[in-house]
Amino acid sequence: MFGPTPLRDIFLVAGFELREMVRSRRAALFTALYLLVAAMGSYFFVWILTHVEPPRPPPRRSVFSASARPDPVVVNSDKPEEKRLFERGSPFRMIVTGSINEQAAVDFLVAQSPITLFHFLISLSMLPLVIMITSSESIAQEHQTRGVRFIGMRTGRAEFVIGKLLGQGATIAGMTLLAGGVCIAVAWWKLGDFEFFPALGSILLFWPRLLAYCIAFLGLAGLCSMSSTSTVASRTFSLVGVVFLWIMNHFAEFYQSGVPADDPHARAWHFIQFFSPFSHQNDLWYPEFSRYGYAMGSLVLLAVIYVALGLAFYRKRDL
Amino acid sequence: MSLPASHSGSALRLDGIRKNYGSLRALDGLSLEVPRGSIFGLVGPNGAGKTTTFAIMCGLLQPDSGAVSVLGGGPFSPRTMRGRLTALPQDAALGRDLTVTDLLTYLGRLQGIPRGQIRSEVARILKLVDLADRAQSRAKTLSHGMLRRVGIGQAFLGNPELVLLDEPTNGLDPRQAHEIRQFIATQRGHRAVVISSHNLHEIETICDRMALIDHGRLVRAGTISEITGQNEEVCITLGAGPAPLELLKAALAPDIVAWEEAARTFRISYRSNAGHEAEEVIGAALRVLLENGARISTVERGQSLERAFLELPNTASPPAL
Repeated sequence: MFGPTPLRDIFLVAGFELREMVRSRRAALFTALYLLVAAMGSYFFVWILTHVEPPRPPPRRSVFSASARPDPVVVNSDKPEEKRLFERGSPFRMIVTGSINEQAAVDFLVAQSPITLFHFLISLSMLPLVIMITSSESIAQEHQTRGVRFIGMRTGRAEFVIGKLLGQGATIAGMTLLAGGVCIAVAWWKLGDFEFFPALGSILLFWPRLLAYCIAFLGLAGLCSMSSTSTVASRTFSLVGVVFLWIMNHFAEFYQSGVPADDPHARAWHFIQFFSPFSHQNDLWYPEFSRYGYAMGSLVLLAVIYVALGLAFYRKRDL
Repeated sequence: MSLPASHSGSALRLDGIRKNYGSLRALDGLSLEVPRGSIFGLVGPNGAGKTTTFAIMCGLLQPDSGAVSVLGGGPFSPRTMRGRLTALPQDAALGRDLTVTDLLTYLGRLQGIPRGQIRSEVARILKLVDLADRAQSRAKTLSHGMLRRVGIGQAFLGNPELVLLDEPTNGLDPRQAHEIRQFIATQRGHRAVVISSHNLHEIETICDRMALIDHGRLVRAGTISEITGQNEEVCITLGAGPAPLELLKAALAPDIVAWEEAARTFRISYRSNAGHEAEEVIGAALRVLLENGARISTVERGQSLERAFLELPNTASPPAL
């Protein structure tokens, strides 16, 4: 019905990439590993919930009125077992909300299903590495095997690259949803009073944010892959790149924390920090769209910048 | 650099192509022309620049200078010439986890074959390369020869006007190689096919034109009969017995007769013109030889391509930059 168009080519390449990923032993291994960590993590999380922090009678608000961070959430014993994880003094609550300084954000997180926050936390921690290992080879491998020469005569290079990344993105989107499902399933199995639908709602609430975060790393993996002719070089670039961006972000944070906000170097570091996806991670936890939306937009923009940089080189290179 | 309109009739034309890999000059002003509908052989020793030439023809490599005209339309671009040029690249591997049908479907669809036609087209190609029974096999389960046949098959998907085949029968068993050669020969007149091969017998058998390149330069180009001297030379090999060289020289003068003792072969070089064709030279030579008791083993017109290849001047060192 339609003749060949760039968009049609992108979807053809993406569909093929997706099918290859599904059948690839390597991708299956890393997906299984990610799901295993999600399942085991969820299991231990629930185990801690039911064994280490048994239900306690609700504390009176007045008792804690002198607390530095007053908790507006009314805690009572009628809450499902899972939600009691957020009882005052819970180590998990302190971990999740420890870096959040705003009461509204704390309230927002406390209102979510803890198992989904655990899924979000574990995904944000693991996925950059998983993406760098699995996706960075995608284009470089085509060069190593020269398989790209079959494709290079049939479609444009930009269509090929974007299609490949789209296929990888679809795989990651499915993988993260599946991991969320695994976490929910474990919690449902182990907790008698687990609330399924609120948990599912929370997963779907955080999933687009997680995807935006993944897209930025996918763009970085694409840049490394486009710049390499072997899978080893591409994987090495990716891992070095992600470690570099992580260090750069933390160094920038460290520097800015010790100087006044109007310090010119602090502003420069703030600007440099923007180019690290890690710098936008924290804002993804917040409830205001202006904040997490900005972070998501920045992450997608970073992906576009990484891919555009890679394409500028890739369009001229020999296949 | 644009080419004159008079060359728009050729399937492919290279004009003064140069390509360097760092300090190594792979192509040094290579020029050649492939007529439409011809089977064209590209021959040269290892490192002569054949694969680089192929990659430049397909648009996979950018030349440092020079002009490429594919099907009369400038350098190949997949956006504007999709499906009109296809190729079997050397040593390129197809995806290993998908089935043969999936791979061919993917490549065919990318090439622009409509969804409604792709199944029948893939079935046609699988039959052509004798892999219909392996249609659902994953690529990684196929032998090297089978993968080579899939590679050849993908080059004939759709209706390309120009097909480039780099070592097409490499790794095939003799029967498969023969079938592929026969198939390629049937393409004459329908599309231009350029074959790069070390198998000179193959080039001689199926090509009607060829070019010899060495160190990135064109050494010689022309029809197979021009290069092998099929209208310029007759070779007669004798068995044990007399070899009347002087009598033969006298009978065939002014044609030049040379005797190669080791091969016990007379090489008779003659100038082809009206009334003095190969048949006449062969007749005269055999008459003299038989009358003088020589035992004739073989008679050949021209020399083999292999011999022509070996006799070409050898450029000893690669060109300096």
